[in-house]
Amino acid sequence: MSLITERSKISPFMVFYIIMSMQIGVGVLGFQRIIAQTAGHDAWISVLVAGAGGHLILALMYWILQKANGDFIHLHHQLFGRWLGNVLLLALTIYFASMSFVVLRTYIEVIQVWMFPDLRTWEFALAFLLLCLYITRNGFRVVVGVCFFCLIIPFYLLFTFGSVLEYTNFRQLLPVLDHPLPSILKAAKEMTLTMLGYETILLFYPFLKNGQQSSKWGHAALLSTTLFYTLLTVLTLAYFSEKQLQRQVWATLTMWKMVEMPFIERFEYIGIANWLLVILPNVCLGLWCSSRLCTHIFPIQQKYALLVITCICFAAIIAVQDRTGVNTINEVISKVGFYFLYAWIPFLAILTYVRTKRRDAQ
Amino acid sequence: MASPTESICKILTLLKRSRDFQTKVYQNQSSGQSVSVFYIESLVDIDMMVKYLYPYLIHYPFTSLQHLADVLPLEDAHLSSAPRDVQQKLLEGYLAIQLIEQDDLVLLVKAQKKIERTLTIPEVEFSVVGPKESFIESLETNLHLVRKRIPSERLTVNLFRVGSLSQTKLAVVYVDGIADPENVQTVIQRIQTIEFDEVIDSSYIVQIICDNRHSLFPQLLDTERPDRVAAVLAEGKVAVMVDGSPHALIGPTTLVEFFSSFEDYFSNWIIASFFRLIRLFSVAFSILITPIYVATLNYHYELIPKDLLGTLITSRKEIPFPPIIEVLFLELTIELLREAGARLPTKVGQTIGIVGGIVIGTASVEAGLTSNVLLILVALAALASFTTPVYKMGNTIRLLRFPFLLFAEMWGLLGVAFCFCILMTHLLSLTSLGRPFLSPLFPPRWGDWKDAFIRLPFSEQAKRPLSLRPKQPLRFNSDKAKAKRDIENIDE
Repeated sequence: MSLITERSKISPFMVFYIIMSMQIGVGVLGFQRIIAQTAGHDAWISVLVAGAGGHLILALMYWILQKANGDFIHLHHQLFGRWLGNVLLLALTIYFASMSFVVLRTYIEVIQVWMFPDLRTWEFALAFLLLCLYITRNGFRVVVGVCFFCLIIPFYLLFTFGSVLEYTNFRQLLPVLDHPLPSILKAAKEMTLTMLGYETILLFYPFLKNGQQSSKWGHAALLSTTLFYTLLTVLTLAYFSEKQLQRQVWATLTMWKMVEMPFIERFEYIGIANWLLVILPNVCLGLWCSSRLCTHIFPIQQKYALLVITCICFAAIIAVQDRTGVNTINEVISKVGFYFLYAWIPFLAILTYVRTKRRDAQ
Repeated sequence: MASPTESICKILTLLKRSRDFQTKVYQNQSSGQSVSVFYIESLVDIDMMVKYLYPYLIHYPFTSLQHLADVLPLEDAHLSSAPRDVQQKLLEGYLAIQLIEQDDLVLLVKAQKKIERTLTIPEVEFSVVGPKESFIESLETNLHLVRKRIPSERLTVNLFRVGSLSQTKLAVVYVDGIADPENVQTVIQRIQTIEFDEVIDSSYIVQIICDNRHSLFPQLLDTERPDRVAAVLAEGKVAVMVDGSPHALIGPTTLVEFFSSFEDYFSNWIIASFFRLIRLFSVAFSILITPIYVATLNYHYELIPKDLLGTLITSRKEIPFPPIIEVLFLELTIELLREAGARLPTKVGQTIGIVGGIVIGTASVEAGLTSNVLLILVALAALASFTTPVYKMGNTIRLLRFPFLLFAEMWGLLGVAFCFCILMTHLLSLTSLGRPFLSPLFPPRWGDWKDAFIRLPFSEQAKRPLSLRPKQPLRFNSDKAKAKRDIENIDE
């Protein structure tokens, strides 16, 4: 970790862009149906609940990082010893790599359904992963740059949702809190995959100029994402009736069909093409995180680790054949992500707390 | 190792192999001593020799070379016994005067012939208003043009010689106390390690010292305007000037700087900002319009509203080629026209432009080879690429659309977005003298935006660009600059 020079570190406020661009991914295109299945027209409350949970976990992460002097990897070695620590870190490596893989595979699925039915999966995946390799090989600063631009440039898409407004009926949201608390919580749990992304802070924290100062930016990012999701959910719920929504796998894309401009129709094509920019940081940062973990488990340089992980991701992407496969991997990673955030992080926090107490006692 | 005497002799014998190397022997009339004068005819100002040197050589009763050096009314006359020095000075147009044959001491007298063109108006970076001087091929004149604009003791000029054969003089210019010493050091270090034989122009230097040699993008700004150099030196940048080149190099530079014309500073800030935005828009238009044409016609004709689609179909009805062939055909025609125009003398070039532009354009539409909609788009795109104020960047812009075209043909709009990501990554990884090329966009420095896409009034420009890390961040007192200058405030 001492290898990170002051020059290659980034300002703490960049955390805002990294976390937000990492959170907003392919899930945005169709998360509404999943949460509306359980929470109905109260789904927007679930989004807020999920956001609140995220803030809690992010605060915990910052606390752990502070106690571990910013070194999350070393913390595992300290707590569980060299061997068990490495096993756990390897699991994390697989987790981050599979995030990249799931995002990319789902995006390819969207393209195949909406844009190019004959797009060959391997062709696009190969090109995309090569691009990611090019980005990550250039170092963390370039990855952060990609995160920054890929959040700023597609920002204009937010305004396109305005054209749905004239067809909305906000009475559909009433009565508020119509659903029982357990189903709202369950929907919040299903929000996890869409909310995932802020856990990358655990790995890029040492690259920040002033780690703890970044916490306000991290929370600001999480808040912005939550508000954006809530807005989008409210809009979706007001636009579709509940039954209609159940038939919309990609509700956001359907809403884009309503955008009308004098020189452009069928706006969802532009939306999907633009979404390439949105998922690019997800895949890149996922690959970067897992390769960084790799360098600490195996005696391997990051560029070779990247190459290996990218190859594995590529193999995994072409292995998933159809829509059901895509659904399964999404569900699996959603579950894993949920337990990683809401079980593993609190567990680590407790262990860290005990350890510091014991050390203080000595 | 030969003794110095032999060495000087050796050098003289070596030089004698050239027919323009002259050796003259004169007899001093007062002392009767014989004096030999060596020089290279093609480098020396004979007039000066005859007028100022010969009277002394022939009539003045000097006792030694030192004595002669003291009385000569010439700019530079010094004694030297170092063979290397003698050789270099002779090759620069000095005269070597020897009293006794085979002596190891010679008097070197500066009598260089100076042939340079007069100052002309800037042609590449022409501006309607503002100064009309541009650099020429002489380093001294160019330095003079800069120095008279910054009459400050802090303006520092470091001289180097580069090129093992050309021995080109090169000056690194910066304002001490403003420019970041690290930037200056980077430039100096890179210049000192140049390995090349014949350095002809400053564009050689750009290619040798730039950060990424395999990039399409120029990473140092070249300008022919002394006023621009003076302005950026005051911002804290470093300039490199090369003898024999009418273009100075400026660094560290950024992408947006390539789209700012120096004329922007001569007009009102609103107008200047408007023109800058127009230029940036035209760059985006120039790169993207034909790829978007290919993408939509190939894959996403649903994007186009019904009425517009009708127009497009009518114009493309007779065309036997797919859009990509059509576009490549027209783009290459434009490139041919441009290249032919650039290679030919100005007047012939204009004729070619008219013939090519009008005749080929109309004929190819009539022949049914291209659609007239595309003809309009390609012509507009070419026009837009010429709005780039820096010539080298314009070339880059014109080349950039070809990869975009290929990706658009492959994956439609998705391909355009993909190619955009590649371009973005490449730009992110670029640096200019080690400073990020995309600043102030990334890393975001909002303070520097005052002079990036728009140009705010001068009273708002009190801070030097942060990305240059100037040692003295403030240019002037912004409070005083903003103060009202009404009658009642004047006597305060």
